[in-house]
Amino acid sequence: MASSNTTCGILALAGLLIAASALAESTPDDTISSQLSNHRFSAVLESEAAYGMARDRADKMELMFDPQWEYRWSEDTRITGIARLYAEGFDHLEPGRLSQEEVSPNSRRLQLGDRTDIELREFYLRTRLRGMHLTLGKQQVVWGKADGLKLLDVVNPQDFREFILDNFDDSRIPLWTVNAELPIGGGNLQFLWIPDRTYHRLPQAAATFAFSSPLIVPQAPPGVPVNLRPLERPNNIVMDSDIGMRFSRFWHGWDLTVNYLYHYADLPVLFQSVFLTPGGPTVTVSPRYERNHLIGGSVSNAFGNLTVRGEAIYNTDRFVLTTNRRDGDGVIKSGELAYVLGLDWSGIQDTLVSFQLFQSWLLHPADGIVRDTLDNTATLLLRRHFLNETLETEVLWLQSVNQGDGLIRPKISYELRDNVRIWTGFDLFYGDRNGLFGQFDRNDRLVIGMEMGL
Amino acid sequence: MRSHVQNLFIALFLLIPLSVSDVAADSLLAGEEIARRINARNEGEVVSRFITMAMTDRSGTERVRETKSLRKYFGKEKRTIIFYLSPSNIKDTAFLTYDYPEADRDDDQWLYLPAARKVRRISASDRGDYFLGTDFTYEDIRKETKVGIEDYSWKTLGEETIDGHRCFLVEQIPVNEKTAKELGYSKVQSWVDAEIWMVRQAKYWDVAGNPLKTLQVREITLVQAIWTAHQISVENHKTGHKTVFAFKDVDYGQSVKDEMFTEDALRRGY
Repeated sequence: MASSNTTCGILALAGLLIAASALAESTPDDTISSQLSNHRFSAVLESEAAYGMARDRADKMELMFDPQWEYRWSEDTRITGIARLYAEGFDHLEPGRLSQEEVSPNSRRLQLGDRTDIELREFYLRTRLRGMHLTLGKQQVVWGKADGLKLLDVVNPQDFREFILDNFDDSRIPLWTVNAELPIGGGNLQFLWIPDRTYHRLPQAAATFAFSSPLIVPQAPPGVPVNLRPLERPNNIVMDSDIGMRFSRFWHGWDLTVNYLYHYADLPVLFQSVFLTPGGPTVTVSPRYERNHLIGGSVSNAFGNLTVRGEAIYNTDRFVLTTNRRDGDGVIKSGELAYVLGLDWSGIQDTLVSFQLFQSWLLHPADGIVRDTLDNTATLLLRRHFLNETLETEVLWLQSVNQGDGLIRPKISYELRDNVRIWTGFDLFYGDRNGLFGQFDRNDRLVIGMEMGL
Repeated sequence: MRSHVQNLFIALFLLIPLSVSDVAADSLLAGEEIARRINARNEGEVVSRFITMAMTDRSGTERVRETKSLRKYFGKEKRTIIFYLSPSNIKDTAFLTYDYPEADRDDDQWLYLPAARKVRRISASDRGDYFLGTDFTYEDIRKETKVGIEDYSWKTLGEETIDGHRCFLVEQIPVNEKTAKELGYSKVQSWVDAEIWMVRQAKYWDVAGNPLKTLQVREITLVQAIWTAHQISVENHKTGHKTVFAFKDVDYGQSVKDEMFTEDALRRGY
C-alpha cells in the first residue's frame, strides 16, 4: 500500500512539474471557438441485457454511466477525466464482492455493494512540451491493427467479465502511464513507462464466464484436492514496472510500426506442485506473474478495394500448461512467434468483408503441452450499412481451427435518434468444451442494448 | 477621304466578328477549362473551421454532428482531417485523408473509431461510399469545392443564373464505366459561377441513369480574401435524405502543424 501511494505521489509530482512547464510555455487559448469553452462535459449512458438461452435465465442487466470532463487550457494542453458508474441487476457476471487482487490499489473500483461500483476509468493530462506530446495519467494505449484477437494490443490488461464479448474500449483496463511521443525521422517515437501493476481481471469460479478450459486452467486428477495459493504480485514500483517503445511511420503508402514491450504477461502462470500427505496427494497451484519481452511490428496498406493489415510478434517467455507428470511445475516456457494477417474487402458499396488468420507457433514445445505447437484461429466479419448508416447489420465469426470450436455473433443496430443507438444480437458458442470458445457452449445468449450520448 | 472612311468601316466590319467570337468563346468556355479554373481558385494553404453536419431523413428526424476540420496543402498534396466533437456517443471519431495530385495514385484514407480506439485504413476505392451517414461521398469530402478533372469528360452546355449569379452549366460524364462505378454517378451537371469559379449547384445521376441528388452551395462570402462557402447542402432524391454542412469560424491564417495530419494525431484527437 505504501508503494502504491508512492506511485501516486511520483506520478502526481511528475504531472504537476510537466504541466507547470507546459503552461508556462503556452498561453490561454483565446482563439478556440466559442463552441469550445475551456470546460467540456459529456456523458454516455449504456444499458445491455442478456438472456442465457441454454440456462433459460436472464444473465445480465447492466447499466453503465460514463461522465467525461475535459478542461482545455490551450490548444496543446488539456486534462481529461472519465468515470464510470456500473450497476448489474443479476450479479451473475461478477457474483458477490470482487477481490480485485489482480488490480493495483490505485486502479481498483469502489464497490457500493455486490452489484454496483464506481471506477475512475481515465484521468490524464495531455500536453506538448518542446515538440514532444505527453500524456500523463490513467489511460488506454492501443497498439496493433488486428480486430477481435490481440497480439500487439497487450499494453493494457483486459477485464474478462464477459470473456471477449464486451467491446474492447469497455473491457480494456486503463493504466497509470507516462506516455511520451516524439516526432522523429518522419515518424513518431513513443515511450511508455507503466508503474501500474494491474493485470487481467479474471472471472471468479461461480461467474457465468469463469474459465474451465484445460488450455487455461490446470485439471487435477479426479479426487485429488487442489490448494490454491494466494496470487503472487510484482511489488516493486520501479523494477516491476512495464516499459514500451513504438516507432510508427507512414512510408510509401504503408503504415508501419515497430514495437517493443518489456512487461509482465497479464495472465498469471499457474505453477503446480504435488505434495504427498497422509490423506493422499494434494495439488498446490501457485499463481505468479512472469516477465516477457515482446518484439513486434505492424503494417497496413490499401490496394484498390482491398486493405491489407498485419501484425507479427515474438514473445520470449510464453508459459504453457503441460500434463506431463514428469514436469516439475506443470508449466513449460517457450518462445512464441505469432502473426495475424487481415484482408478487408469493400468492393460493394456500404459493405465490408473482413477476414483474419491468426497463427501462433511455439518455438520450444515439450511433451504433454495442452495446446498444439502451431495454433490457428480465423475470423470473418460481414458488415453492411443501410439508411445512411443509421442501420448496421453484421456477423462476426471466430473459429479455432485446431480445436474446432468457435463463436458466431450476428448483430443488428439502429441509430434511433441523434444520440441514441439500440441493438440486438446473439452470442453463439459451439464446439468442444475443452476449447477456448467451446468452454462457454452453454452460454449462448440473446443480447439487447441501448446507448445514449448526453 | 471617302476611301479612308470606307477602309475604317471595312476594318470595323472585319473586327466585329472577331470580338463577337471572343465573347462567344468566353461565354461558352470549354468544360475542361472551367474545371481547371475551379481547381485553380485560391482556397488557402491552410484552413481551420467548425462544421455542423445536420442530416435529416424522409420522416424529418434530424441528426446533428459538430466537427472540427483542418486542411493543409503540402505542395500539391492536400491533407484533410476531421474530428467529431459531438454527440458524445460518437465523439472522437476522426477521419484523415491524403489527396494526391497524381491521377494514377490512389488517395490514402484513415478512420479512427473510438469504440475500438484504433485507426483503420480505408480503401481509397470507396470514394463513392457515403461519408459517415451523410449524403456526401468520401470523394466529395476530399475534393471539397474542387473537382476531379481526370475523372470526367467535360462539356459546357450553356449559361444560366443561380441566385442572381451568372453561371456556366457544365455536364460531366465519367471517363469510363469503372470510374462511374467508383464515383457512384453516371452524369453530373454543375452550375459554376463565372466570376469566382465555384460550383453553386450540381445535380447527380446514379449509375443506372436515375436522378440521384442535388447539391447547393450557399452563403459564399470573402473570408481573408478567399471565396468561402458557409453552407453546402445535398438532397438525395432516392432516399429523401438531406445533409447540410454549415461552416463556422473559417480561418485561413491559423498556423496548423504538419503533425496534425498523421495517424497519431487521429488517435490523440482534437
